[in-house]
Amino acid sequence: MRSRLFIFAMLAPSFTLLVLFYAYPIFKNLTMSFTDLSLLGMSRGGNWIGLDNYREILQSGDFGHILFNTLIWLTVTSVAIRLLMGLGMAVLLNSTALKRLRMQTIARLALLIPWATPPIVAVVIWRWLLDPQGAVNRALLGLGILDQPVAFFANVRTVWPAIVTIMVWNTVPLIALSLLSSLQSVPEELYEAAELEGANQWQAFRYITLPFLMPAILVLGLMSVFWSFNNFVYVWLATGAGPGTLTNVLATEVYIKAFVDFRLGYSSAIGMVMALVMAVFGAVYLRLVARRQLEESL
Amino acid sequence: MFRSSRKVLILLAASMTMSGAAMAQSTTITFRFNDTEAEIRGAIDEFQRQNPDIKVDLQRIGWRDARNQFLREAAVGQGPDVVHSAQVWVKEMGDAGATLALDSLLQQSPPPNQFTDFVAQDLAKNSAGKIFGLPWTTDTWAMVYRSDLLKEAGIATLPQTWTELRQASAEIFKKTGKAGFGFPAGSSASGAIWFLATSYWWSNGKALIVAKNDGAYDLGLTAEDIAECMKYFKSFVDAGDNPKANLAASDAHDPSILQALVTGNQAIGSMPPNTYKQVLEAYATANPGKPLPFVSGPFPKGSVTRSSNIGGRMLVINAHTKYPEAAWKFVKYMSSEEVFSKFYRTQFPAQRSLLKKVDFGPELKGFAEQLEYARSWGAYASGPIPIGSLWNLAGRGFGMVLSGQRSPDEAAKELLQEVRKLMPQKS
Amino acid sequence: MGGNPLRQSARDPSPLAIAAAAGLAIITLFVLVYPAVYVLIGSFRPGGGLLSQSGTFTFENYLKIFRSGFSRFVLNSVIICAAATLLSTLLSIMAAYAFSRFNFPLKRTLFTGVLFGQVFPWIVLINPLFVAFAAMHLINSYVGMILTYTAFTIPFSVYMLVGYLVTVPKSLDEAAVLDGASRWQVIWLIICPIMLPGFVATATYAFLLCWTEYLFALAFLTQTELKTLPLGLYQYFGDDNVDWGAVMAASVVTTLPVFLLFLPIQVGISPGRTVGAVK
Repeated sequence: MRSRLFIFAMLAPSFTLLVLFYAYPIFKNLTMSFTDLSLLGMSRGGNWIGLDNYREILQSGDFGHILFNTLIWLTVTSVAIRLLMGLGMAVLLNSTALKRLRMQTIARLALLIPWATPPIVAVVIWRWLLDPQGAVNRALLGLGILDQPVAFFANVRTVWPAIVTIMVWNTVPLIALSLLSSLQSVPEELYEAAELEGANQWQAFRYITLPFLMPAILVLGLMSVFWSFNNFVYVWLATGAGPGTLTNVLATEVYIKAFVDFRLGYSSAIGMVMALVMAVFGAVYLRLVARRQLEESL
Repeated sequence: MFRSSRKVLILLAASMTMSGAAMAQSTTITFRFNDTEAEIRGAIDEFQRQNPDIKVDLQRIGWRDARNQFLREAAVGQGPDVVHSAQVWVKEMGDAGATLALDSLLQQSPPPNQFTDFVAQDLAKNSAGKIFGLPWTTDTWAMVYRSDLLKEAGIATLPQTWTELRQASAEIFKKTGKAGFGFPAGSSASGAIWFLATSYWWSNGKALIVAKNDGAYDLGLTAEDIAECMKYFKSFVDAGDNPKANLAASDAHDPSILQALVTGNQAIGSMPPNTYKQVLEAYATANPGKPLPFVSGPFPKGSVTRSSNIGGRMLVINAHTKYPEAAWKFVKYMSSEEVFSKFYRTQFPAQRSLLKKVDFGPELKGFAEQLEYARSWGAYASGPIPIGSLWNLAGRGFGMVLSGQRSPDEAAKELLQEVRKLMPQKS
Repeated sequence: MGGNPLRQSARDPSPLAIAAAAGLAIITLFVLVYPAVYVLIGSFRPGGGLLSQSGTFTFENYLKIFRSGFSRFVLNSVIICAAATLLSTLLSIMAAYAFSRFNFPLKRTLFTGVLFGQVFPWIVLINPLFVAFAAMHLINSYVGMILTYTAFTIPFSVYMLVGYLVTVPKSLDEAAVLDGASRWQVIWLIICPIMLPGFVATATYAFLLCWTEYLFALAFLTQTELKTLPLGLYQYFGDDNVDWGAVMAASVVTTLPVFLLFLPIQVGISPGRTVGAVK
């Protein structure tokens, strides 16, 4: 009985906040999505139109393109790159080699810099660096990789990689530092035992380090997917969802429909669709991938 | 006892007079001004000096979010008393019930030059014809040129027509290798290409939205008109005299365009006066003592006239304000000649009589000239489709064409379709 | 550490490995830091170094932003973000401990619920929250912002912390409880020291999320004296022109306090503290 009370006391404060700040607005949003509420008519309220908004979303010719952008470019590509680079950085930072060189503290501090840079500044700077006359082009030309400068944000083939670059730069430190602290809690004895058994570095990594890191990687992966899928600022500030509608993603579509076209009801419906897609993904993910790792130990 | 009660009475009387005076003392109104404080501080201080019973609290929000924020606040009965608003928002806000109707205030205590002296009056009214904002500042875009690059390319006079502009730009690129007319070719929802396209269509006597005689609204452009305009601007990008990199720039004040003008890598640009002033300033800082090789000129002529849209800001009063009289006093003062001549010098007043008195200076001559040809949004603003939506659709359509993703004819048809979808259906 | 110190460990890096690691580290750090260095340099140039290529050095940008009240924004951000981080980390540790150590009905549902709160895009949550806050008089208040930021950092914090806590075996707790310790003592005296790097990483994430957050701050803080740093920064993006110098200077001022706050923490947490605890 006492432990039940204890559990309740531990969970109650967090859940109170979560209900107020998530459940309530989500519920309101759901009701809004069945209306034609306009930003200009907020005090009047909107008229009930049932599933019309949802029908319109699915029938709009652009939906497939926007969904593709959001899923493949904004989410899968950027998360995959982030996880790989973050893992690599964490391993590098934790390596004995760096310890010898005493570069660990500097490296950790340097990681904080991109993370603490506000997104709009990150976008401005990277747009500048990726300009045809900017540092990146100059470097690539100098190294002979390019023979002509590339206008990364203006070229339809390179604009997505450019956006992904900004996102990765701004957010990989989170992954790297999280994995680093996980790495640091791997007990040394395991490595020593492996060594005694004749394992090399790669085998140690594969059979000791990676399993230890798996829970963290899976959690970070899932959170990054949610966060990237719903992300608005990077695309909006870098290209305004252009050229044309090339880089339009679901979140920028929500913004345009809500704050340019004033259609709050419709944009709420898009928001619900986004949540649905992510919920389905999350459910599948947890079932297939994370079940073994996380829920077992729970 | 008698004495002490007299003392008490005196004390009571004294305290009542004092609190009476205190109550007559300050009302505090909030003013949300969305440019930099330094521009407006002098005017506010002077107002408070002249009206010791009114205190003004200054707030600021970036323009990008200003309208949504105010609409949200007004919907729950909050928000500042006096709000700095874009011209094209006033009708919407009035219709939404977020702002106070000014007709009675205008009648009781009109501004010194009377309401009829103000420009863009039609934008200040809501659908029912009631006035919801007082026009405050005005400006319009114009063309700006690097006179040294023009000379280098052998161009003796400023281009007067759209064709001449195209030729001049190509000449400059050919003879000097520098960009000609480097306009922002990006597709953000509030991109600059909208203003250029509008100027092009209006100069040919056409408009996207027109009001018909029976009060209904219709599209005033055909797919051919749109395609022609798209092809025109595309020709700059295809030939290279507008560098492809400008596809990434959506604003006239994009730093890459401004830098190109300042460092002499671009000869022609189009922008509002404050952006131009920033260019001049940046050049002066980087080249102290040298004369400014810049000149401004009006937009090119089309088949009918030259044109551009007259932009500007208005002051609106929150519908839920507790102090409408104090707010109106403040709004009136802000529109006075004193404020524009002594304190708020970074913008032009939105009153014809005051505009005539403004000294634009030699570099901004082109803007003064263009102001005479500028027209307000008119049917675009009073029509059924939010200007923001038209702006967004046009920007994206042009973006598709300029980046080569669609042909001008296809994109023009699509744009027309999209705009038609937004028109209210006739039953 | 056991083992014969004289034996050459196969894990001792060769000079080649050290050189390679150093090279890789330098390249990585360069890419991470260079853009920010660009901003730093730009902050000392007129126009942020963007509009012209003049190399003049000036303090004017910094003077400008502090004259227009930027220090107030720093204060607001520090107070709000620090308070929110502390509260959020505390509440998350409590919840994560419950999830990782106990079984109870609805556990899976609640845990999934925490996660699935994250599937919604934030811009869609703002309007309803604004209306609710207005009714509760929480607009333009420290308390409102702190609660908001706490609520929005809890889900990720709980998930991260659960991930960390499951690596500490329950047997440790059980042993301590058998020895007479209360659950609270177990948390503070045993779990915390082991999990300190994990807690710090979680708190760092929460803090940085709040520090650069813009959407909610914009909607809930309209009075100038209450604004946070991101709002202050965005103000320099005008309609017709952008004060690039001020933007760069503001960006540096936004990034710097993060260092000053985390330098002592990062340096203080030396790796290796966790060794031996499980024994």
